[in-house]
Amino acid sequence: MTVKTAIKVTNLTHTVTANTGDLTILKGINIDIKEGESVAIVGASGSGKSTLLGLLAGLDVNTSGEIALYEQAFSSMDEEQRALMRGQYVGFIFQSFHLLPSLQAVENVMLPAELKGDKNARKNAEALLEKVGLSHRLTHYPNQLSGGEQQRVAIARAFASSPKILFADEPTGNLDEGNGKIIIDQLFELNQSQGTTLVMVTHDNELAKKCDRQLVMSAGQLVEKE
Amino acid sequence: MSFAFRLLLRDIRSGDILTLIIALIISVGTVTAISLFIDRLQLSFEQESASLMAADRLIRSDDEIPKTWQVKARELSLQLAENTSFSTMIFAGDALQLSQLSAVTDSYPLKGAYLADDSLFGTGKSFTKPPQKGEVWLSSRLASLLNVRIGQQVEVGESKLTVAKYLVRDPGSSSSAFAIAPRAVMNMADLASTQVIIPGSRVRYSLLLAGERAALDDYETWVTPQLDEGQSWRTPTQKGERIGDTIGKAESFLLLAGTLAVILSGIAMALASVRFVKRHLMQVAVLKTLGATPKLLVKMFFIQFTLLFVIGVVIGLVVGWGIQGLISSLLSGLMSTSLPEPSISRLWLGVATGFISMVAFCLPLMQRLIKISPMSVLQPSLRFEQNTLVIYSIGFIGMYGLMCLYTKGFLLPTIMTLALVGIGLLVTVIGFTVFRLGRSLTSGATSGWQIGLASLYRRLVPNLFQLLVFTLIIMLGLILVGVKSSLVADWQQQLPEDAPNHYLFNVQADQIDQINTATDQLGILRSDWFPMVRGRVISANGESIQTLYPEEKGEPEIYERELNLTWSDTLGKGNKLVSGDLATNGLSIEQRVAQEANLRMGDTLTLNIGGNIITLPITSIRTVDWGSMQPNFYLILPKETLQDYPANFVSSSFISDDNAQSFYKAMSQFATVSILNIGDLLKQVQNVIRQLSQAIQLVLLCILSAGGLVLLSSVRSTLEERLEEGALLRVLGARKTLVQQALFVEFGALGLFSGLIAAAGAEACLYGLQVFVFQSQASWHLMLWGLGPLIGVFIISAIGLFASRKVLNVPPMHLLREF
Repeated sequence: MTVKTAIKVTNLTHTVTANTGDLTILKGINIDIKEGESVAIVGASGSGKSTLLGLLAGLDVNTSGEIALYEQAFSSMDEEQRALMRGQYVGFIFQSFHLLPSLQAVENVMLPAELKGDKNARKNAEALLEKVGLSHRLTHYPNQLSGGEQQRVAIARAFASSPKILFADEPTGNLDEGNGKIIIDQLFELNQSQGTTLVMVTHDNELAKKCDRQLVMSAGQLVEKE
Repeated sequence: MSFAFRLLLRDIRSGDILTLIIALIISVGTVTAISLFIDRLQLSFEQESASLMAADRLIRSDDEIPKTWQVKARELSLQLAENTSFSTMIFAGDALQLSQLSAVTDSYPLKGAYLADDSLFGTGKSFTKPPQKGEVWLSSRLASLLNVRIGQQVEVGESKLTVAKYLVRDPGSSSSAFAIAPRAVMNMADLASTQVIIPGSRVRYSLLLAGERAALDDYETWVTPQLDEGQSWRTPTQKGERIGDTIGKAESFLLLAGTLAVILSGIAMALASVRFVKRHLMQVAVLKTLGATPKLLVKMFFIQFTLLFVIGVVIGLVVGWGIQGLISSLLSGLMSTSLPEPSISRLWLGVATGFISMVAFCLPLMQRLIKISPMSVLQPSLRFEQNTLVIYSIGFIGMYGLMCLYTKGFLLPTIMTLALVGIGLLVTVIGFTVFRLGRSLTSGATSGWQIGLASLYRRLVPNLFQLLVFTLIIMLGLILVGVKSSLVADWQQQLPEDAPNHYLFNVQADQIDQINTATDQLGILRSDWFPMVRGRVISANGESIQTLYPEEKGEPEIYERELNLTWSDTLGKGNKLVSGDLATNGLSIEQRVAQEANLRMGDTLTLNIGGNIITLPITSIRTVDWGSMQPNFYLILPKETLQDYPANFVSSSFISDDNAQSFYKAMSQFATVSILNIGDLLKQVQNVIRQLSQAIQLVLLCILSAGGLVLLSSVRSTLEERLEEGALLRVLGARKTLVQQALFVEFGALGLFSGLIAAAGAEACLYGLQVFVFQSQASWHLMLWGLGPLIGVFIISAIGLFASRKVLNVPPMHLLREF
């Protein structure tokens, strides 16, 4: 059986307008990421890792080249269609968690399923929070949770819509070592059990090593690390 | 739908959206309360004034009023009455007397009541029905002059009528000026048989109307184009009449208060919307990453804002209704009559306020929310892509529209808008200069006050915004306080409790001493006696009046009729010289009539006095306070010119209810002396003034409370940043007092400058309002210059310190986790 290509990037270039003029951040990038693969993108600060992650997830529009998720190219889509794609295929974990402060933990996890109109949103969310060990924190608000707990809620939220691809931006960047380890373990465990494709930006070499592939971002180019 | 609803409920529960709902409730509530209250007051004054006119509306005519006008009034279900008034001789045996006689239909008066008595010179009881057919009511003076009593008959033309009561007051007569002849009233059914009205008789016909406001308005629209010269349409609160003017000014005040409420609500909505957007930008960006499409977001916000609108408007209307009810019940103890119920239809203004506020302030912000790039969850610098100027401009236009809608005009909104723009510029320039100066004075800050002052420049934009908001709120408060004080003072000064309420005239020189003795014995206060000689102006600057106005139309008032002339060496109370002085060789003229006749100093007037022709130059021009209730004159001549003519004298007195009976009794021995009682009219005016003074104070309190709430939410809007900085300072080892001091200095300085600028702005606005809206003399309001900075420093620092007490009492770690 052939493995599907989850993400295909062809000749991706991205230019932004800065005070000093146009600045090309990504220069002719090509990647193929197979379904179920875990990929770490590493590189120096400011090298364009997060920009690439955003473009891969369809959060922004690239200047030229092509990005396709499951053979559906973003270039032919408007924001409406890209949002539908995200809802259908994509989950997110952010460095600064980005939980909604006005919602309880369980409500934060329910959000993606609610957006899809899923009636079982709450039950699934409770189950996911139990999996990340937070069944006793369901009705707590984000500011009542520790950093590690907030990120675990974010992981539960990311898996709530059963995404095919999970994008993580420095998921342990704001956490201490102990909490970071718990997060990594839970992330990989859920990733494997659900067969998700994982694309992660990180500075953490240990975390990167856990992935199937490591891609290094340097001077706007992406190269495979042997 | 359900997702939007659930999200809204969660936002409400967490308090995030509460500020917006509260702002909406304040907006809708304040505007509703004030507009309903104004409506009730207007209805109440109209009713009270109507009782003085005997009707809601009337048509006055020199000729008989067409019957078709009555038909139309009946079609509109209006109540009708007629009053035909004329001078005629009344006979009783050998005695005869020229009288002012009114013939009225059975339905007269439609509003108010007659005062009549069974005993001569009695103070009277109320009667809502006129004399019956065959009866006549005579004033006590007329009965004395004719020497008739109740039950005896008098002759009017060809008819004999029985005296049934002594007339004290005719409800329709109190606003008319001096009626020299004593009054009598009879039933219209007897008029034809008297045969006193013949072609050429000088008769005043009145058609009186009462009924629903809408029907009266329809009738006015129908009849006004048909009115000829000599016919006029009258309303109870007509401009130019004393009560009309007083109510007009109060209405302007309440309208101003309402306009300021609209501005306040605009500020509240702007603050709350900005806070809402700030708190929701990240939420929307995250929702987008989770797959929320723009369409879904538009739908979600549309549903949320519609729900918000419904919740805010419904609660706002209820609150507004409650507040006006509360104000009215607080006033009810002071009012002589209870206020009529407010009309439900006035609620639309509250709904419109809510709608325009939402559209003007929330829609542009909603658009901004929907446009946020989902990429901003990864790159926070993208979050604040916005054009604040466009957003606030839309809000500003919305607010201007709302003010125009509210005041049904452009003058007040334009004055207020110009003031707001001016204040905006002033605040920016002064704020920038002062904050910058503060920073240069405090480089290397170590003490609390240095840190506080330095913070002003460090957070320049939010602080300028805050300064503007503080300034506006304080300024609005000061404007209202200023207008209220001068209005109330003006009214109270105009009509003190012991203002003269009776005029004595037709007094002969030899009666003065006797009347003085009689009134002194009763302890009655009197003005000076003024001699009156009748005379007519026949030419101006040598040109005869007939040549100047050949068609006998549009003549200035002083040429139109015979005038009462007087002489005096000193200026009477309420008279003020504008130019020249009272000379022995010229005449003094009142300013308004001089302007009307285009007369200046040095012009000459020729008068016919008792057949003698006298020409005099104008040697002085005076202003006269006609509201002073003192005898006043258009023309004052030199004593030498007038003293040889037969004169009668006039004076005014204050007669209290207690000594009215004894006064009338004492005066009954001077049968030829005419007494004009304007006490009821005065009492009503004083009552209206008292009610209005109380009403506007309560409205002021209501607006100031709303202002306080907005002030609090304005402090809260920039609190997070201050709390975060305070927490950091404490983490770095700063003592509580240092943080406290820094916050006090920052808020205190903001308060001081906003108070000072607000005082300047309020002074400028008050000038504009006094000159253009209230049409009174502009004056300085020194009190505001003290009150503004005081309120600024103390109230703003108190609110600021209270709101930020958390930073001083909660462990810094807890605070930092929240940001």
